[in-house]
Amino acid sequence: MALRVLVVDDEEDFLRSIVMRIELRGYEAHGVTSGDEALQYLRANPQSVDVVLLDIKMPGMGGLETLREIKSCCPSIEVIVVTGHASQEFSRRGRELGAFDYLIKPIRLEVILERIEAAHRHHRGADADE
Amino acid sequence: MEARYEQLFRRMALTGLAVALIPLYLVGVAIYVYFASTQEQNQRAQLQNLAVSRTSAVQLFLDERIGMLEALAETADVGTLTRPGELAKILEILNRRQHSFVDLGIIDAAGDHLAYHGPYALEDRNYGSEPWFEEAMLRGVHVSDVFLGFRRVPHFVIAVRRDDRPNPWVLRATIDSEVFTRLVRSGQVGLTGDAYIVNRQGLYQTPPRFGGEILGAAPFGTSIAPPGVNVVSRRTTDGRRILTAFAWLTTKDWLLVIDRDPTEPAAPLREARRIELAALLIASLLVGGAVVFHTRQLVARLADEDRSRVAAEAQLAHSARLVSLGRMAAGVAHEINNPLAAIGELAGLMEDLIDDQFLASSQHAKLFQENVRKIQQHVDRTRGITHRMLGFARRMEPHQDTVNVNDIVNEALSFIEREASFRQVELIRQLDADLPMIKSDRAQLQQVFLNLLNNALDAVAEGGRIMVTSRAVAESVMVMVEDNGSGIPEELHDRIFDPFFTTKAPGEGSGLGLSICHTIMKGLGGSLSFDSAPGEGTVFRVRLPRTPV
Repeated sequence: MALRVLVVDDEEDFLRSIVMRIELRGYEAHGVTSGDEALQYLRANPQSVDVVLLDIKMPGMGGLETLREIKSCCPSIEVIVVTGHASQEFSRRGRELGAFDYLIKPIRLEVILERIEAAHRHHRGADADE
Repeated sequence: MEARYEQLFRRMALTGLAVALIPLYLVGVAIYVYFASTQEQNQRAQLQNLAVSRTSAVQLFLDERIGMLEALAETADVGTLTRPGELAKILEILNRRQHSFVDLGIIDAAGDHLAYHGPYALEDRNYGSEPWFEEAMLRGVHVSDVFLGFRRVPHFVIAVRRDDRPNPWVLRATIDSEVFTRLVRSGQVGLTGDAYIVNRQGLYQTPPRFGGEILGAAPFGTSIAPPGVNVVSRRTTDGRRILTAFAWLTTKDWLLVIDRDPTEPAAPLREARRIELAALLIASLLVGGAVVFHTRQLVARLADEDRSRVAAEAQLAHSARLVSLGRMAAGVAHEINNPLAAIGELAGLMEDLIDDQFLASSQHAKLFQENVRKIQQHVDRTRGITHRMLGFARRMEPHQDTVNVNDIVNEALSFIEREASFRQVELIRQLDADLPMIKSDRAQLQQVFLNLLNNALDAVAEGGRIMVTSRAVAESVMVMVEDNGSGIPEELHDRIFDPFFTTKAPGEGSGLGLSICHTIMKGLGGSLSFDSAPGEGTVFRVRLPRTPV
């Protein structure tokens, strides 16, 4: 089964392009432009997402808040932070809240996909351990 | 030393000297004044003693002469005395021990000479109305004041009366005034001292040494002299202050006066002054030297502390500027990153969508594909810039992290690469690939390397060369930044790490760069040193402790 990715980013050009590109590479991808939408989507389709690509600076609910909510409602979903706001503080707090990785935009799609695969492998490994 | 420290030094040294030396001089003056006053008291006492002894001598002289004449008058009869040659013989006997009588005369009650022997032709003179004769007839013994008399020469006489009945007579003798004057003057002291006698009317009875002659009037009235012997301080007519002893004789109402300059004899006082001046001079030199030396040290230390404080403040301000610069850089990078990511993804999508059919569809399709790739390349390049900016921002916060010094060197080099290539300066890296990781502050190291590289870039001419070498040595990691620029003149070597020292034009260099680097390296437990040969270039050596990771 293809990996299912949810992209959360308020920058629509970025969001549309990356969703299409991910899909072109054989994954399932869905894009939303805010944290609220992301949670709405996840609550509606709790089993339909493997990995979330999450922006940090967004209007409305911020990325870290969204991350916390995702982790509390759906702990099995891996979250990779992809943001233009590189800061050690965000990075540290992201990891504390359970983010799998912290990537700084702009970044090559190949790197993102590699991290998505790694996150998924990690997740499956964790499942196997249970 | 700067002018204000020179001024501070002067003020402190002057205060110190004043506080130390003024009491010293006051004590010196007090000792001198005390010594001088003791000296004057001694002189007064000496003068008093002298006056007493001289008065006694003069008194004795007169008493002896009176006694001699009385004995003669009482024992010899007038018949014998008036025999020719008799008075000459007696005068010779009287003067045998001491020549003090000038002449002798026997005078009858009417004042006529019965006999006379002496150098003057006075045999025919009548003394009946002479004051001294009247006094002698009246009182029996009389010592006259000095007068001119018939001989018209100043002299004084002693006259004694013999009460022969019915014809009393008077024995009269003239005293050698030279002998008497010499006796009185034996009371003179020093070069300016004087001793003389004045009578009750204030007329000189013996000639004073200065400012007067016999029978002249003394410049003071005898009323200022109370009975007995007294020493007073008075002013002479020419304004000099002198000590004077006044002593009244008992036999005769004559006043013996001894003047003395209190500053003479000056030898003891001069000696005291010389010793004291020498002592004060030595003490002043020692105290002055100590004050100047210690003040100089104190001010130098103050200046040093001020300089370090200013440097620390400057570094703080510099760091604060860097931090805010870092925040700004981070803000800019963040703002750029998001649209840049969108551009990257849009271009990526465009590239993804190009397929063979599209390539075949247009003669420009290849160019299109190529340009899309170029857009992605530029995005990558811009990402390099913003990531570097973010890295710079992150590094402004103090840190102790595990670092690969080569990475930091490379990052620093990347900042100057553009300008170096623009100016055709060759950058050579000789970085030891096996350099151990160490614990240090990445941001501060970056600042040091960047500073050294910027300086090197400023130092080399177009077409110059900068070589950066890293290597591990025993307990350290060394990084050398070497340029083939103009070098640092020998005379500036000592000042190169001083804050605010710069050879750059005003406004181009703060003069803080190397000072800050030096401080940073000390703070990191390492060191910064250099070697420079004018005309050949300079090498700066950064040594970092090889702390276990």
